[in-house]
Amino acid sequence: MRRKIVIPVGLGGAMLLALLLPLFSSDYYVYLFALVFINVILASSLRPSLMCGQLNIGHSGFMSIGAYTSALLAKNLGMPFEITLLCGALLAAVIGLAIGYPALRLRGVYFAMVTVAFVEVIRLIAQIWVPLTNGMSGLSAIPKPNLLGMTLVTKTDQYYLVLFLMLVVLAVLWKLESSRLGLIWKSIGMADNLAQSLGVDIAKHKLLAFTLGCFFAGVAGAFYAHFIRFLFPPEFGFLMATNILVYNFVGGRGHFAGPIVGAIFLSLLSEPFRGSPYETIFFSIAMLATILFLPGGLITLPGRLGGLCASRTLAARVPSRVA
Amino acid sequence: MTTSLLVQSTIIGLSIGAIYILMALGLTLMFGMMHIINFAHGAVYMLGAFVIYYLYFQGGVPYFAAFAAAMVLLGVFGYLVERGIYRPIKGGIEPTLVALLALSTFLVAAGYPVFGQLDKHVPPVFEGTRTILGVSLSVERLMIIPIAAALVACLYLFIKKTKIGAAMRAIEQDREAAALQGVNVNVVNGLAFAVGFALAAAAGALIAPIFKLDPAMGDQPLLKAFIIIILGGLGSIPGAILGGLMLGLIDSVVATAFGAEPAFLLSFVFIILLLLFRPAGLFGHAA
Repeated sequence: MRRKIVIPVGLGGAMLLALLLPLFSSDYYVYLFALVFINVILASSLRPSLMCGQLNIGHSGFMSIGAYTSALLAKNLGMPFEITLLCGALLAAVIGLAIGYPALRLRGVYFAMVTVAFVEVIRLIAQIWVPLTNGMSGLSAIPKPNLLGMTLVTKTDQYYLVLFLMLVVLAVLWKLESSRLGLIWKSIGMADNLAQSLGVDIAKHKLLAFTLGCFFAGVAGAFYAHFIRFLFPPEFGFLMATNILVYNFVGGRGHFAGPIVGAIFLSLLSEPFRGSPYETIFFSIAMLATILFLPGGLITLPGRLGGLCASRTLAARVPSRVA
Repeated sequence: MTTSLLVQSTIIGLSIGAIYILMALGLTLMFGMMHIINFAHGAVYMLGAFVIYYLYFQGGVPYFAAFAAAMVLLGVFGYLVERGIYRPIKGGIEPTLVALLALSTFLVAAGYPVFGQLDKHVPPVFEGTRTILGVSLSVERLMIIPIAAALVACLYLFIKKTKIGAAMRAIEQDREAAALQGVNVNVVNGLAFAVGFALAAAAGALIAPIFKLDPAMGDQPLLKAFIIIILGGLGSIPGAILGGLMLGLIDSVVATAFGAEPAFLLSFVFIILLLLFRPAGLFGHAA
């Protein structure tokens, strides 16, 4: 009963806050939250693959593909954002399909290693294909997003764009997860042999979940390119891929809200040391602490605290009843 | 490519392959027993190299003593990682992998404030060059091959001839049955961690006088070791040795001819093709 009220009110409140944020805060926070929303897209898009029990440590590689594709199409050919976004995301999905098809026939550990190597490959290609990507000098002067014929000049406009993109991505992922597909993913993650014996085509569904994630990582990358307007190959390396995994594990893998909570919480908390080694140190400690002490992630924290309080009040009540 | 260049890159390939083999052996040993991949292996390699930097170069300890110290220190560290991370997570392969990944990023990132931002260099241990088949090669590089071979031989004897080695093989075959026969699975797993970490430390210690040292130096060898164990089949020790030699040669010969990046891209393409047509690896059994 209470849940039924709390959840819509909470979501509505969060929505309202997100919509009003640019009105009462400085550009810095608008910029920061736009980055947070990119991280939410990345973290949530990894979830279907994780649900199937596939440890993808290469998600940032697909983001990189989306980013470079979109940036180059806009910069060199002057294409509008709606087209470059789609092209970037589709190319990420196609490459995801090409890598996923051979790799997904394997058990998790092989898959994890292939995806790690894949990130390196994408980084190297971006680094050595100098005529196209400008290599280690970085790709600069990427045009601002040009949407439906108008250029989104201010950070506030771009903030609303990424907010919109995030909501669409989350809505699609939520719809899929709460459909039959979500059940199938969960069943594969829990016991793939059993799922297969019940007639689930596990290879097909794993590939679908993986490719879907690649597509949305491409979306996040495409926006990122036009938002930061500078792309540097090592940025999309192994560390960023690890961070995306960290959002999922720290937030909690048991619920759709897990990666969202994880991405928001960690991106905001690590903000003071963004870009320094201390950011990574913070992320790794958060990760180790979560896995060792709170395996369900942050989303299980309220339940756990609630359980703790309940048992305490119960403990307090029992003697009084005796007395 | 001239013959002398080919000879030179082949011998260098063998020395690089020897380093890769030391990395891959620990990974494959741990995988065989626990079905996990130690993502922190590259960080351990880096720490091994830094032990040499501080003990041998800064501290003036003889090279082989520093080398042994690196293996022992990181071996103990490996045992502690088993106690502190692997054992508490118990069984969950995915959380274990992610925890080891976090350990790896932690060690590398912490390396920057602890060791400093600048690259470090260790002066050569074995001076001079030697001429082989008309090609002159630095003794430093050549020495890697016999030392690594000796370590591989020790590992082989350890696994085949000692009681602990037998216990490791038993766990690899059937964990429960091994436990029922009185094998203390926890302690033996811890020792496997220790052996794996010590071998990675040895690889780092061997390479320290040749390459520059920085906290991220372990990333590349780790990726190579991944490729090797996929190539050789996870859990297969002969597979790791042959895979390491192959990759070392590909790396060195292709890199001499076309550059280092194409060599890496080529090995990745090779892996994808291999996975398509022979998913268990060249020498492995079914996954």
